[in-house]
Amino acid sequence: MAKVVLLLLVAASLVAQDLPTRKAPSVTMSPAPVTTAIRGRSTTVELRFHVGSGFHINSNQPAAEYLIPTALKVEVPTDIIVGKITYPPGEQMSFAFAPDEKLSVYSGEFDLAVQVRPLASVLPGKYEIRGRLKYQACDNASCFPPKQLPVDFEVKVVKAPLPPQKNPAQSPHAHT
Amino acid sequence: MKRDPAVLIIVAMVVALMLVFTFKLARRSLPGVASGTAQTNGIAPDFTLQSIDGKTVRLSDFRGKAVVLNFWATWCGPCKIEMPWFVDLQKQYGPAGVQFLGVAMDDASSKDIAEFAQSMKVNYPILIGKEAVGDAYGGVQFLPETFYVDRNGKIVDKAFGLKGRGEIEDDIKKIVGQPL
Repeated sequence: MAKVVLLLLVAASLVAQDLPTRKAPSVTMSPAPVTTAIRGRSTTVELRFHVGSGFHINSNQPAAEYLIPTALKVEVPTDIIVGKITYPPGEQMSFAFAPDEKLSVYSGEFDLAVQVRPLASVLPGKYEIRGRLKYQACDNASCFPPKQLPVDFEVKVVKAPLPPQKNPAQSPHAHT
Repeated sequence: MKRDPAVLIIVAMVVALMLVFTFKLARRSLPGVASGTAQTNGIAPDFTLQSIDGKTVRLSDFRGKAVVLNFWATWCGPCKIEMPWFVDLQKQYGPAGVQFLGVAMDDASSKDIAEFAQSMKVNYPILIGKEAVGDAYGGVQFLPETFYVDRNGKIVDKAFGLKGRGEIEDDIKKIVGQPL
């Protein structure tokens, strides 16, 4: 039995040798906590992303025109406006493939800030917002085709707090 | 009834192997690519692609020459490092029968690819890649990937990722051999 298993393992490894093996880059997003947004007011949602060890992706402002920038595209419910998306500055790094050139990249963890503003007429409740993070990853010697990471987060829309009520007992009319 | 875990493992592996072989067989008959893959018989799969200057180019057009087939993209930093070396090596080894071919595997327009190639002073044909051609060469999951094809159309060596100029030149020497 052990010989059969060994033979199958050898056959599988021979098949696998045909294809170039290199660890694929991974970019993931941490689950975002629900952000509370008051109707009619802007709120910032922080999104945290992780780039797999050994890889980097271009920042939103890459050093050269030919490089593909990291960009978040958000599809929003009709009653919530998505404002400015703030990207962190990239780290200026040199790589073995271009030691004399500094590239603007994200590696490890990086955060994006997304401004959202529910319209004043939106019904209070939770709204799911979806989007896609487009990125293009490389390691020290090769680059991988551009990919899109699905992104989603929730915004809890609440009514604006009521303005402080005057105490009727203190009303000048109370004693009339 | 209790099942022997070893039997289950073997069944799972056999199924996995069958899936891999089925996938590989299916890849042999992709449109635009002649049958046969780089993996099965060592012969570089033939293809027909358009060049950035509008010509129809077949790999088999270069039979009798040693071909350096380089898959690249405009967004690939390491590919950009290799290109000036390829330009020099085309000049140096072209008279000995070496022909570089660049296959651009990106979504940019032909015009953008042509402008990029022009800015890099590329002196060899640049072809607009197709997924089917990449698949015939093992999927081209990352770039650059370079295949060294001898005068008989046989793949002698492959390079995945950026290699040093010296290594590239060594691979060229392997495929130059004697003129036919």
